[in-house]
Amino acid sequence: MRVLSRPESRLGILVSLPFAAFIGLFLIYPVTVVVIKALTPDGHLSADALSRALSGTYRRGFINSIELSLASAVLGGLIGVVLALVVATMSRPRWLHPALESWSAVASQLGGVPLAFAFIATIGTQGLVTRALAEMGLDLRDYGVTVTGFWGIVLVYLYFQIPLMFLVMTPAVQGLRQSWREAAAILGASPLRYWLSVGGPILAPSVLGGIILLFINSFTAYATVFVLNPGGALVPLQIRFLLQGNIITGEEDLGNAIVVWVIALLLLSLIIMTALQRRALKWIHS
Amino acid sequence: MTTVGLSGIRKTFGSTVALADFSLSISSGELVCLLGPSGCGKTTALRILAGLERADAGEVWVDGVDISVDPPERRGFGMVFQDYSLFPNMTARQNIEFGLKVKRKPAKERAKTVDRMVEITALGEHAAKYPHQLSGGQKQRVALARAIATSPRVLLLDEPLSALDAKVRESLRDEIRRLQLEIGVTTVFVTHDQHEALAIADRVGVMSNGRLEQLAHPRELYEAPANAFVAGFIGSANRLPASSEADDRWRVLGRSVAATGVVSAPSVLAVVRPEQVAVEEDGPSRVVSTSFLGPITRVTVQDPQAGTVVADIMSVDADWIRPGSSVRIRLRDDVERVLLIDGS
Amino acid sequence: MDPLMTASRKGFVLRWGFLILVAAYFVVPMLAMARFAFQNVPTALLTRDNVFADWSISGLLTALSNPKIVSSASISFWIAVFAIALNFALLVPLAIVTEVRSPRLRPALTALTLVPWVVPPIALVVGVATTFRAAAPWFLGNTLCLVPFYALWAMPFTYRVLDAGLQAINARTLYEAARGLGASLWTVIFRVLLPNMRAAMVAAAMLTVALVLGEYAFASLLLKSTLPTEMVVYEGRDPRGALALALFVMVITALCLGVVVRLIRRRGVSITVTGF
Repeated sequence: MRVLSRPESRLGILVSLPFAAFIGLFLIYPVTVVVIKALTPDGHLSADALSRALSGTYRRGFINSIELSLASAVLGGLIGVVLALVVATMSRPRWLHPALESWSAVASQLGGVPLAFAFIATIGTQGLVTRALAEMGLDLRDYGVTVTGFWGIVLVYLYFQIPLMFLVMTPAVQGLRQSWREAAAILGASPLRYWLSVGGPILAPSVLGGIILLFINSFTAYATVFVLNPGGALVPLQIRFLLQGNIITGEEDLGNAIVVWVIALLLLSLIIMTALQRRALKWIHS
Repeated sequence: MTTVGLSGIRKTFGSTVALADFSLSISSGELVCLLGPSGCGKTTALRILAGLERADAGEVWVDGVDISVDPPERRGFGMVFQDYSLFPNMTARQNIEFGLKVKRKPAKERAKTVDRMVEITALGEHAAKYPHQLSGGQKQRVALARAIATSPRVLLLDEPLSALDAKVRESLRDEIRRLQLEIGVTTVFVTHDQHEALAIADRVGVMSNGRLEQLAHPRELYEAPANAFVAGFIGSANRLPASSEADDRWRVLGRSVAATGVVSAPSVLAVVRPEQVAVEEDGPSRVVSTSFLGPITRVTVQDPQAGTVVADIMSVDADWIRPGSSVRIRLRDDVERVLLIDGS
Repeated sequence: MDPLMTASRKGFVLRWGFLILVAAYFVVPMLAMARFAFQNVPTALLTRDNVFADWSISGLLTALSNPKIVSSASISFWIAVFAIALNFALLVPLAIVTEVRSPRLRPALTALTLVPWVVPPIALVVGVATTFRAAAPWFLGNTLCLVPFYALWAMPFTYRVLDAGLQAINARTLYEAARGLGASLWTVIFRVLLPNMRAAMVAAAMLTVALVLGEYAFASLLLKSTLPTEMVVYEGRDPRGALALALFVMVITALCLGVVVRLIRRRGVSITVTGF
């Protein structure tokens, strides 16, 4: 701890002030307003709006959103982990690893409208793959895969979920020391035994944390699902409907309440994820 | 008890030859040190022994049986790594128990063995801790316990003390030797520190550039090094001019002695240890510097004929020696024989 | 060869098989998009024979010359520029001060800049809309009102990249060395630290551009006309052209991000989204 000299401590405050003001005005304040309004529908304190936000169609909306996010998070997570593991064990070709890292940094950011368009062109009713499969006598709809349906949207989300998981897991996978593997082998453990007793448990916090990250990432996704299925029963769409525009539905407080639940859910996920991250770092850097 | 060895091992990595026709035979219950500078191939040899690398040519054998194709899981060895390599998700006890669990030993037996391991490595209450909570020395003791818990046929150690502080290194080194003698396990110990090797080994194999230069008892290495490399690597050595005399005798530092080694090269140098040099008053040489090392004082002298010479004198006798003093250096009277090396 | 690493035939086939499947998943949609955008043959009429027939980029050219598209693109561009400027003005000094003088602030700051990510855009929009509608209604009318939102949305990345950039150049040591040699605070910042942060700053800027090119939620909720929102409208009128445009935008985004990755790798700065 250094004693700040006078001009520099003043500088510290000077620098933080605009930032604090910005965050306060555009982040803290709006969120507080929403939370307060959700807790005080009709002007007085009550849990009425909050409980209504979890019933009926909104309950369905939450369940759908959670299911969708979980599905894309777990699937994307597993594929991403396997990808990271496969690539980590391949030392040749030399360009594979850097190429994949660059690509995944880019691909994890792609999404929204263009991605939705791309998948409509692929597995939509006029999609290329749909057409190709039709030539072979297969119809995706028989398997419940339509671009506007649940599994279709999951398939679209995987496009950025997998690279994101790969990015997150690569450092963790690289942190698995070769010497652990060797020590286990000398002690008589088969590769399977190693993964069950050592490798798996060490990676587990990172994998779980990664999946939670993917969950958060997909829960608030808006553009993609808006293009594909604007009338769907999903939380982001429901919030939009309740709060958009000039329709004084009187259900504004309901919308606020839903937002509060969403923030609570995501904040909780973020906390769990951070805790897992810390545990993972502790082990890998022992 | 187990005998183990390598014969005719050749290993290349890309264009570098790590080991060239390397052979080593270790007797039952023996502790052999592989000693040499980095890149000499000692770790490669150990890893081939362990099964972690496969040699391009040659065999690995245990008790006369060729095990070259056996994977590491089936060799029944124990190994201690330089970075300890403890499984971070398990406590010390669980680490030690791991090999026993893999062998499907019943729980009661495992517990008893682990308790004994904890006792002989003096881990005490640290046994319940996780690796990240342990100090370097404690981690290495756990690694050792883990390696010997399965009663391995052979114990392999890859520079286990390199990552530790000097004090810990010394005590742990002696502990390892004590344990090894008590259990009687055939052991191969790789290190780049000659003091370690000389202190604990039954035999030391000095290596350089993928070749075994000399394999012998520490004392023999010190007193009768086979060549210039070994002479220079083990202990310190002066290389001094030697002139040939009649009757196969040589004149070195003012005395006539017998010689071994390369006697027929056109120009030869004699390997003389610092403690074999005597320093007397009044002579043509000049003291350049003195270093007080405790019981010994190391005196560096500039001699008109021999060049720079290092002498180790008992500190009690070295009071009068100051930088700048004029002295005479001589080969001590009790030295009867020197090693000659090619001086070209 | 290391016997531990499965150099077996089976392992090889499995690995490469998996990689090829994954690669296919990522490449096919792009191909499908390109085909739809640039080939004038309806999918239903596509057969093996006319796969290479009638390709042209006319759809893209029409879209690019559409006045609404052009104007919304320019709006998006300027919003990006202002958002970047705002973020730099707020975060660069803060990042420098944190790294150099008060590292204790870092965890709090990292956490704080991560919050925008957890809050659904709609919540922010609603909260701000309610307050501003009452106090300053002109604010939400202007398209530039998106700037603070985008700045906020880009904050997690921007802060992390700037912070990582400072750590990579050992800003603290540089600062102390420069001060020790007698440089004033301003000299240190402008002549020592900022020039070394160029890579991190360009990377952060590129990330923001990529973000703005793809951001739909804020813009549509606030009923503004940005490139992404106009693309959706355009799709209603000319699906092929819209897809061509979308592909074009995607390529540009990918290029920007490619630059980011290059810069980050070259400077030895390594960041992950969450620092696992």
